[in-house]
Amino acid sequence: MAIEQELQAAVKAALPELDCIIGWGPGPDALRDAPLFLRDAADADVLRAGFFSVNNPALFLPEYKGRKIGVLVKGCDARSVGQLLLEGLVRREDLFVIGFPCSGVIDAGKAAALIADRCEAGELRSVREQGDSIVLEGPDGAFSLAKKDVRADKCERCLFPNAMDADLFVGEKRAPFAELDEYADLAAFEQAPLEERMAFWEKEMSRCIRCYACRDACPLCVCRDQCVAVARDPHWLSQADGIRDKLFFQIIHASHLAGRCTGCGECERACPMGIPVLLLKRALSRRVETLFAYRAGIDMQGRPPLLTFSLEEPRIKERDW
Amino acid sequence: MRIGVFICHCGSNIAGTVDCAGVAAQAARFPDVAYSTDIMYACAEPGQDAIIEAIREHGLTGVVVASCTPRMHEPTFRRAVERAGLNRYMFEMANIREHVSWIGKDMDANTNKAAELVRMAVAKLRLNRELTPKSFPVTKRVLVIGGGVAGIQAALDAADAGLEVVLVEKEPSIGGKMAKLDKTFPTVDCSSCILGPRMVDVAQHPKITLYAAAEVESVSGYVGNFSVRIRKKATCVDWDKCTGCGLCTEKCPSRKSYDRFNEGVGPTTAIIIPFPQAIPKKASIEREFCRQFTRGKCGVCAKVCPTGAIDYDMQDSFVEVEVGGIVAATGYDLMDWTVYEEYGGGRYPDVITSLQYERLLSASGPTGGHVRRPSDGAEPRDVVFIQCVGSRDPSVGRPYCSGFCCMYTAKQAILTKDHIPDSQSYVFYMDIRSPGKGYDEFTRRVQEEYQAQYIRGRVSRIYPSRGKLVVCGADTLMGTQVEVAADLVVLAVGGEAAHGAPQLAEKLRISYDQYGFFMEGHPKLKPVETNTAGVFLAGSCQGLKDIPSSVAQGSAAAAKVIGLLSRDMLESDPQIAQVTVSRCIGCGKCIEVCPFKAIQEIDLRGQPRAEVIETVCQGCGVCNATCPQGAIQLSHFTDNQILAEVEALCRF
Ligand SMILES: Cc1cc2nc3c(=O)[nH]c(=O)nc-3n(C[C@H](O)[C@H](O)[C@H](O)COP(=O)(O)OP(=O)(O)OC[C@H]3O[C@@H](n4cnc5c(N)ncnc54)[C@H](O)[C@@H]3O)c2cc1C
Ligand code: SF4
Ligand code: SF4
Ligand code: SF4
Ligand code: SF4
Repeated sequence: MAIEQELQAAVKAALPELDCIIGWGPGPDALRDAPLFLRDAADADVLRAGFFSVNNPALFLPEYKGRKIGVLVKGCDARSVGQLLLEGLVRREDLFVIGFPCSGVIDAGKAAALIADRCEAGELRSVREQGDSIVLEGPDGAFSLAKKDVRADKCERCLFPNAMDADLFVGEKRAPFAELDEYADLAAFEQAPLEERMAFWEKEMSRCIRCYACRDACPLCVCRDQCVAVARDPHWLSQADGIRDKLFFQIIHASHLAGRCTGCGECERACPMGIPVLLLKRALSRRVETLFAYRAGIDMQGRPPLLTFSLEEPRIKERDW
Repeated sequence: MRIGVFICHCGSNIAGTVDCAGVAAQAARFPDVAYSTDIMYACAEPGQDAIIEAIREHGLTGVVVASCTPRMHEPTFRRAVERAGLNRYMFEMANIREHVSWIGKDMDANTNKAAELVRMAVAKLRLNRELTPKSFPVTKRVLVIGGGVAGIQAALDAADAGLEVVLVEKEPSIGGKMAKLDKTFPTVDCSSCILGPRMVDVAQHPKITLYAAAEVESVSGYVGNFSVRIRKKATCVDWDKCTGCGLCTEKCPSRKSYDRFNEGVGPTTAIIIPFPQAIPKKASIEREFCRQFTRGKCGVCAKVCPTGAIDYDMQDSFVEVEVGGIVAATGYDLMDWTVYEEYGGGRYPDVITSLQYERLLSASGPTGGHVRRPSDGAEPRDVVFIQCVGSRDPSVGRPYCSGFCCMYTAKQAILTKDHIPDSQSYVFYMDIRSPGKGYDEFTRRVQEEYQAQYIRGRVSRIYPSRGKLVVCGADTLMGTQVEVAADLVVLAVGGEAAHGAPQLAEKLRISYDQYGFFMEGHPKLKPVETNTAGVFLAGSCQGLKDIPSSVAQGSAAAAKVIGLLSRDMLESDPQIAQVTVSRCIGCGKCIEVCPFKAIQEIDLRGQPRAEVIETVCQGCGVCNATCPQGAIQLSHFTDNQILAEVEALCRF
C-alpha cells in the first residue's frame, strides 16, 4: 500500500533523531495488528498502518515521558495525545507525531461473526485492504467484506479522522463519514426510565470479571499502580464479589475521565466480556460538552474544565450577574 | 478506642420529637463505644462538666455529641474535651436538631435517623487522628474597603488603637452617602458639619493610608496574612502635584457631564472635585465626558493647571499591601426605580429620588439650597413623598424594608417646610417604622408641628396635567381614592447592595445573600464577623441601616480587628490537605485546581510531586476531589473517614 510505504520511509528518515517510534506491526491474527516499537530503521518494513491498526499508541506515551518518541496516530489517537499534552502528562518537544488519513478501523468482533460460517480468525492466512472492502484469504480461498460492515462503531461517529497537530502528515486528509449527531444513540438510550437503565447496567456488569483490562487499555488512565481500584488506603472498593463494586469502579473510571475521555473506545474493545463501558464515558462527555463547551483533546489552547477552578462558568448560571 | 456518646435533649427542642434515651441505648452498642448517655443541655455548664467527668471516669479517648449544628457549638465542645485532656479533634458532632427534630414530627423515624447520624459520627471518629495547629505571625495592618461613614469610623478606631490602616474608596472622595445628605434625622443637624471633621481626621491620621478612586483588584492569603492588590484608577491628574485649587474645573469647556455626586441634579464639568469638602481634595477627569478623549483635542485643564498635574496618558496602576484583617464597608446604592411604570418610569423630570432631593435641599448642592424643581426651576408648593418605592415589594424582587426611608422622608418633609414655609407636604406610606431613640417622636412632630399630611396607601398612577403632576392613590384608612396635584414628587427609593458587592464578596471569599448584602457570621451572635476568618463587616453592606447603626457597626468591626491583631501569632487550622508522596504521581492536577494556590510542585529524586503549603491551604477539599490517586487527603475529612460514614449509613 502506497501510504504504508510512505510511512515506512518517513519512519526510517525520522528514527535516527528518536529513541523509538510507536506504530503497528503484525498481530496475533490476520484481523488485528499489534503495537510495534521500532528502534532500528532496518525493522521498518514490518510497520503497518491502516484498517487493522486498532490499538491506540498514545497509551504508551506517559511511560516514555522525558524521551524522544515518534508516534503514528489515527485521528482518535491524536486526540488522546492532545489530551495527554494538555494535562502535561507528555511534553510536546519530546514527541514526533506522524499522522495519516484514517478510514476507520476494524471491529474484529463484527468481522469474526461475519466469517464464522467459513472459518475462525486464526485460520485466515492474510487480509488486505482494497478500496472500500477488505480481501480475506481463508482456508477455502479468498473472499471479501465491505469495510462498512465490519467498521468499529466509533469510526462511524468520528468527526476527527485526521490527526491534528501532527509534525508530519502522510497522505490526503479525508472528510468524516457523516455529520451525524455523535450522541444520537446515547440520547435514545437515556430516554429509557432510570430503573430500566439501572437494570441494564446491573445485567451488563454482572459479567465483569474485574480484570481491569478496560482501565489498562485507557490512554488517559495514568494512575497505573496507584489506581483506587486496588488501593487499600483510601479503601474505596472492596474485594467483595458483587455488582455493586464492579459498577462502582466503572463509575469512578467514568468520572475520572469526565472531560478527558476522547472516546477512543479502547476500554470497550479491551473488555473480554463485551461490556459496553464506553457508553458510560460518553454520557459524561456529552454532559461536559453541554456544560463547559469542551471536547477533550482537540483545542490545545483549551483548559480541561474539571482540572481548573473558576468562580463562574459561563454556561452554568448560578447567579444573575 | 474508647468513645463516649452524649445525646442532647436541647430542652424539648430535640427531645420533643426524638427518643434521646433510646438513641443513647442504641449508640451503646456501636463499635468502640464505651459510654453512652442522654443529657439535658450538653452545651450548658453542667452538660460540659458531665462530658469532662465522663472522659475522666471512663477513660474515654474520643467523644461524640449529638445535638445542634456544629456551626454554633463545635468550638464549645472541642474546648470542653480539650479541658479534659483530649486532643480537640478527637471529637465529632451529629446534628440531630436542624437535621432531625426540627424537620420531622414522626418520633420513630426521627429516633431512627438520629441513631444513624450518631452511628456515622462514631464511624468517623474511630478514624480521627490527633491534629495540632501550627502558629504563624500576623501582619498588624488592616484594610478597610469603602469610605462611607461606617468605613471612616472603622478606619479611625483601628488607627487610634495603633494599627496601620489602608482605606480603599472607589469614588474620588470618601464620605459615601452621608456626604450627600443635607441634614440628618432625628436631630436635623447638618450632615457635612458632623461628617466633615471625621473625613479630615482620616486624611490627617498618620496611621491611615487612603487610596481614593481605587478598588480592590484581588485578595489572596488568609487571616493574619492577606495580600491585597489595589487598582488605582487613572484619574488623569497626578495627585502628588494637584493642590485642589479647582482652576481646571472652572475652565473646563465640557459642561454637560453627569454629576454623580449630585445624583445628576444639574450637570458638571469633565474634570471634577466632587464637592467642596472632598477628601482628598483632588481633581480627576471623567474620561467619558472629557473632550481630550471624546474629540481627541482640548487640553484646557493641562494649560491652566498651575502645577502641571494633568496627565492624559495616565494608566491604572497597582499597589500591593499586606494586611492581617479586612473590614468591608461598601454600603448601598439606590435601586433602579424606573421599573415602576406607575411613577412614570423615569419620564417625568419632576419625579425625583430622595437622594436627589437631599442635593436640592443642601446649601452646597447645585441649587445652593433653594428647592427648585428640575423641569422649570420653579419653587414647588405641593410636594408629594411616596414611601416604600422598591422596598417591601416582592413584585420587584425587593421584599425587605430599607429601614431608613420612613425616617428620612419625615426629615425631608420638615426641611421642605423650613425651606418653603407656605408649602404643603403629602406622604403616601404603608406603615411608619420608627423604632429608635427619639424616632417616633420625630415622625409625630412632622405631622403635628409641620402639618405634613400622611396618607396611608399606595400610589397607583402619576400623570402630568397642566404643569402639575397628578398623584392618584388610595387612602386605605378612609377607604377613599385621593388625588393630589403636586409640583414635585419625591420617591423614597429603597436601597440595595452596592453595585459590585457580590463580585467583591467573591474576592474576599465571603458569602452574600440573594440581594447582594454580605452575610454575617451569625445573625445574632456574630453580626460583624463573616464566615471567613479575618474579614469583618461594617455598615449597610451587611443590611440597610441608618447612620447611628452604621457608625456603631464600624466601631464594632474595628474592635474585632483590634482584638484579632492584638496577638502576635495566630493558630492555623490543621484541617488541611496533605499529600502522601508515595502515592502522588506528580500529575499536577491539584496545583491547577487549588483556588488558593496552596499547592506547589516539588522535586523528589528527579520526579515531580505535589506539596501543600500549610498556612495557605484553606481545607476546601477541591484538590482532594480532583486527585485521581487519592494521594492528596484532607486531614479530618479523609476519603477513609467519609467512606466509613457512608458505610455506616448504607449497611447491607
Ligand atoms: C435619601 C436618604 C437620606 C438619608 N438620611 C439619613 C439621615 O438623615 N440619618 C441617618 O441616620 N441615615 C440617613 N440615611 C441612611 C444613610 O445614608 C446610611 O445609613 C449611611 O450612608 C450608611 O453608611 P455606609 O458607610 O454603610 O454606606 P455608604 O454611605 O453607602 O458608603 C459606602 C462607601 O463605600 C464605597 N464603595 C462601595 N463599593 C466599593 C468598592 N467595591 N470598593 C471601594 N469602595 C466602595 C462607596 O463609594 C461609598 O463611599 C439616608 C439615606 C438616604 C437614601
Ligand atoms: S475490562 Fe471488562 S471485565 Fe475487565 S474490569 Fe473492565 S469492564 Fe470488567
Ligand atoms: S475511557 Fe475508554 S474511550 Fe475514554 S479515553 Fe479511556 S479508553 Fe478511550
Ligand atoms: S493530583 Fe494527586 S497525584 Fe496529581 S500531583 Fe496532585 S497529589 Fe499528586
Ligand atoms: S484543600 Fe486542596 S484545593 Fe483546597 S486550599 Fe487546600 S490545597 Fe488548595
